Amino acid sequence: MTIVTGKAEARRRLQSGRPGVLRQIWEHRADYAYVLPAIAVMLIVIAYPIYYTIELSFFKTPPGLQLRDKTFIGLDNYTTILTSEVFWRVTWNTLIWTLGSTLIAFVLGFATALALHREFVGRGVLRAILIIPWVISAVAASYIWKWIYHSDFGIIGAVLVGLGLADRPPNFIDSVNTVLPSLIVVNIWREFPFAMIMMMAGLQTVPEQLLRAAQVDGASAWQRFWHVTFPHLRNVSTVTILLLAVANFNSFIIPWIMTGGGPSNASHIWITHIYELAFGRQRWGVASAYSVLLFLTLMTLGYFYVRALSGNERQEGSA
Amino acid sequence: MTRITLGSAVLRGTVATALMASLMSTSALGAPPVDLSKWSPEYVRSIAGTQDFDTAADCAKVTPLDYKGRLTFWYQGVFEGDPDLLRQYYKDFFATFRKTYPNIQLEEQALTYNDLLDKFRTALLGNAAPMAVRLQILGGTEFASKGYLQPLKPEDVGYSTEDYWPGAMKAVTWEGVSYGIPTNNETMAFIWNADIFKRAGLDPDKAPATWDDVIKYSKQIHDKLGIAGYGLVARKNAGNTPYRFMPQLWAYGGGVFDEATANPTYEQVNLDSPQSKAALQASYDMYVRDKSVPVSALTNQQADNQPLFLAGQLGMMISHPSDYDVMLDLQKKATGADKDKAQTVIDNMRYGLIPTGPDGKRAVVFGGSNIHILKPEYVEGGKVDEPAAKAIICMWTSPEWSLKMAYAGSNPGNLNGFKTKWMKERLDNIKFLDVTTSMLPYGIPFPALPQAPEIMNIIVPDMLQNALTGAMTVDEAADDAAKRVRDLMGGL
Repeated sequence: MTIVTGKAEARRRLQSGRPGVLRQIWEHRADYAYVLPAIAVMLIVIAYPIYYTIELSFFKTPPGLQLRDKTFIGLDNYTTILTSEVFWRVTWNTLIWTLGSTLIAFVLGFATALALHREFVGRGVLRAILIIPWVISAVAASYIWKWIYHSDFGIIGAVLVGLGLADRPPNFIDSVNTVLPSLIVVNIWREFPFAMIMMMAGLQTVPEQLLRAAQVDGASAWQRFWHVTFPHLRNVSTVTILLLAVANFNSFIIPWIMTGGGPSNASHIWITHIYELAFGRQRWGVASAYSVLLFLTLMTLGYFYVRALSGNERQEGSA
Repeated sequence: MTRITLGSAVLRGTVATALMASLMSTSALGAPPVDLSKWSPEYVRSIAGTQDFDTAADCAKVTPLDYKGRLTFWYQGVFEGDPDLLRQYYKDFFATFRKTYPNIQLEEQALTYNDLLDKFRTALLGNAAPMAVRLQILGGTEFASKGYLQPLKPEDVGYSTEDYWPGAMKAVTWEGVSYGIPTNNETMAFIWNADIFKRAGLDPDKAPATWDDVIKYSKQIHDKLGIAGYGLVARKNAGNTPYRFMPQLWAYGGGVFDEATANPTYEQVNLDSPQSKAALQASYDMYVRDKSVPVSALTNQQADNQPLFLAGQLGMMISHPSDYDVMLDLQKKATGADKDKAQTVIDNMRYGLIPTGPDGKRAVVFGGSNIHILKPEYVEGGKVDEPAAKAIICMWTSPEWSLKMAYAGSNPGNLNGFKTKWMKERLDNIKFLDVTTSMLPYGIPFPALPQAPEIMNIIVPDMLQNALTGAMTVDEAADDAAKRVRDLMGGL
């Protein structure tokens, strides 16, 4: 009888190379069987569309012809997009939309989480109320805000005129200058509860004894926040910001329902522009190239997200 | 309530002979069931209720009533701006179809005007389209030119080509072949609130005669009463926008191409012509210079104007005859003082012909919908049950149902519908119907081109928005739109 030690087994596996991988797969066959249906579904509904979109991005698809009559044009769609003035205008809008929504929603959510972390009467009720914007359907919220902003009969306008603060209702969504900031406000309103919940969860992990020790050592409230609380929240903050950024890059409902990208394309962001190019104007090839660019951007953000999560796990593992 | 001066309307109708010729010009011109040359409210009244039709018996000749089959069917259905009366007729139609053809398993799906084209295009890409579809008039040539539709003419479902408006048949014809049948055809009218006109110092019973008058009236109403004068609509991707702007464009002598002429060739782009620019300037003057129209026009559609009109906050607008019923429906839902206020507005509703341009040209969009059968390869399952499809098409385009399904807001696609007893009943029940039937001869169909949906739903609204927001000057906006149309026609 041969006794095999753990080290010997590991060495044998290393030496055996590829067969070891196959053996590992075989040993974990049940695990693979469990995830196989999910992988199959992903291949059908995610991998194939991604492949097809990439393929389509190399073809010209004239709006007057069927999709099967497409012609190969290499990278022309990408050249067309990157040299078009509209692309850069829409990209600028997308950056303002994404950065503005993400950062302000995060800061607001964080501040609210800090406020709600303290014990006070009615805290639970307040938490529940503040979560409402996040749980409301985006479609319903968009229609409600459209009426709140209405340039002739909106609630905000009526209040301002009623209080004598304005002669006529302000123009929120029918002006090229104010439409994007107005939509960002709606988006922040909808998203800040998500940041709040994430940061509230993060705050629960800050060790109370460290805060007390810092207090005993004479640290001010700001010093306690900056030197104790904030470092503990770095990873959850990163994850929250990345999740918000990904969601905002992909955000379609609010700008589409409230303005359809208008007026005069002033609120078009990548995703709404892609939709219009594809479904409104049937430029499937150009829209696909646009989508590939969006996909690459989101994958980059996704990479950082995964890295941030790994950092979290490493930190938890070493704790 | 004062009736509008229909006598003068009829007299002016003679001016529209050329436009009428446009509507009538077709290679297959035969003897229509009604005399289009005599078209007037009086003539329409004289033929109403003169003939009976047995829809089930007529359709049984196309598809036997005991036929067993399955049909998937999408249609542009009623939406939030339609009256409850129309909703009921849609329900009745499908109930009657199921009763008439109990062995046809019908799977119907209603989509709104603004969603239908996008959804249908997507379904076609995945070969998952329905077997039959009822599309807006704008969509027919797009799908016919791409080869998605089967040839289909009125004779295939037991009717004659001459039973339909020639202009409507043009909208379903591509390269000389007919790919659909008109279900309904509509022309809108001009609606105003007589009380607002009176309070603004205008003649309460007289519609603005020209578009220049509309600008003046709108300003006067706004300046005197502080409310919006004219219900401008300039939202993108909304059918309401071209239906309201194109009459203005044509009246000033402009056009996207030469679609307002008797025999359009669609070869020359005219959006940047001085006449087209004058029409755009008129909208600019109302929105930017005078600020006499709703600021929200850029994000609004007609359904948003209706409550404003009912609330007495809007002086005049272009709309369907059905708006009177819509107002009644909305008024029923109002409470307290709002109910009385709404009633006052309803009592003061007036309908008139759409104003003319500086040269006396009057125009309106010849709108409506068509019904089509898809080729099997684009249909889910790869099969089309043609007898079942023809059964529903026969029924919808029949004199009876093409009238009933257009009862409040439109007109029957099948001209025999004007002869039915339901037309007679309709003339008595639907107020102001005379005005919209009087507008029919002034109707101009959208260009029968596959590119028409993009031009009307995207390029024209973009042109308006670019000018009205100040993103471009009027000249730049018109030039930009013309260039986009040229690029589009050039295959870019």
